[in-house]
Amino acid sequence: MTTVARLVLGGVLIAAGALKIGNPADSVVAVKAYQLLPESIAVTVGYALPILEIVVGLLLVVGLLTRVAAVIGGLLMFAFVFGIAWAWAHGLRIDCGCFGGGGQLGVGQEPAYLLDILRDFGLVLLGGWITRFAPGRYALDGALGLGGDNRNEGEYDDEQG
Amino acid sequence: MNKAERTSAKTAREKIKEQQAAARARDKRKRLTTYVTAGVVAVAAVGLGWWYAASNSQPEEAAAALAPITVQADGSVVMAKQGVTAPVVDVYEDFQCPACKELERVSGQTFKNLAAEGKAKVVYHPITIFSQEPTKSNSVRAGSAARCIADGKQWMAFHDLLYQNQPSETEAGFTPDQLKNWGKEAGVTAQGFDQCVTSEKNADTQLSFSKKIIDAQKINHTPTVKLNGSEIDNSALFSPQELRQAITEAAK
Repeated sequence: MTTVARLVLGGVLIAAGALKIGNPADSVVAVKAYQLLPESIAVTVGYALPILEIVVGLLLVVGLLTRVAAVIGGLLMFAFVFGIAWAWAHGLRIDCGCFGGGGQLGVGQEPAYLLDILRDFGLVLLGGWITRFAPGRYALDGALGLGGDNRNEGEYDDEQG
Repeated sequence: MNKAERTSAKTAREKIKEQQAAARARDKRKRLTTYVTAGVVAVAAVGLGWWYAASNSQPEEAAAALAPITVQADGSVVMAKQGVTAPVVDVYEDFQCPACKELERVSGQTFKNLAAEGKAKVVYHPITIFSQEPTKSNSVRAGSAARCIADGKQWMAFHDLLYQNQPSETEAGFTPDQLKNWGKEAGVTAQGFDQCVTSEKNADTQLSFSKKIIDAQKINHTPTVKLNGSEIDNSALFSPQELRQAITEAAK
């Protein structure tokens, strides 16, 4: 289950980042469209977001630093939920920019805020799950003895008894 | 079991315990090293990626004075050194469009520099692409006001001010009073400018020009920038370096 959660959350992050990374300008415009951050910070976030998504996504998929990556991934998704809800509440007509593009919607396009929020909130929950039950099977953390919990240390404790 | 045996058994147990403690410490160190290494690599990757994106989008510095700018009869504006007719860079933009503002921020100076260096003839086509309110009216007011300016230099200054002060897409902006003030700031002294702005004298012209351009050039998004008639890819458009290279190569 944790492994599946890792693959899903990591996969989504990688896809979202990869679609944006070729076009940092789009990403900047999308971040600005939310009107949540001051201009200079929005530019920085716009440039950093795609690569951050990809790196965190990769860490989750291979299961390295799983717990840390899951916390960051979950927080990212939570920030997206907040941003979309904010845009919704303020009647901004933007698409979520989740998968590149983003910014103002064209004619006749309706934003699918609720769907976006539900999807991202589901991903927040996955992040929470991974954080709780890290690292799951097929994770580098496990292979390297970096369980992140005390399970591996247990071996020694047992022998001591 | 006699006493000696017991002692040796005890020391054996202690030995094993010590070995285990050492193994645990080693393991802890190894774990820590791996964690730190992975963390550092990850942070470095993010930092590098950010740095690359930011430097790739680094605007050019203003180099020389602007090339001569001429406002044409149809409201499009030509910026080119005398005698430079190619390559032609057509910029289709909407004063209200955030991506156009971003293009202006990132690559606006590159267009100006290339024109000043005599490496391109840059033509601005301010259109209104929005069809919903409040963006449509904002865009029409701004476009209409720009059409009140006949002097090229003033037009460019006004153009830059419009982008710097672009209103949000959710509220009415580019008010007549603002537009008049920015006109003054841009150096407009012509009589009738205020009247021209307030009455939105050129609103219809702006709309019919936009329709004509959008149909003829098949514009479905702004900014659209064409180099000798073919659209420049967004990834090149928003990278001053790549943009310069593409236009310079077209000049050969």
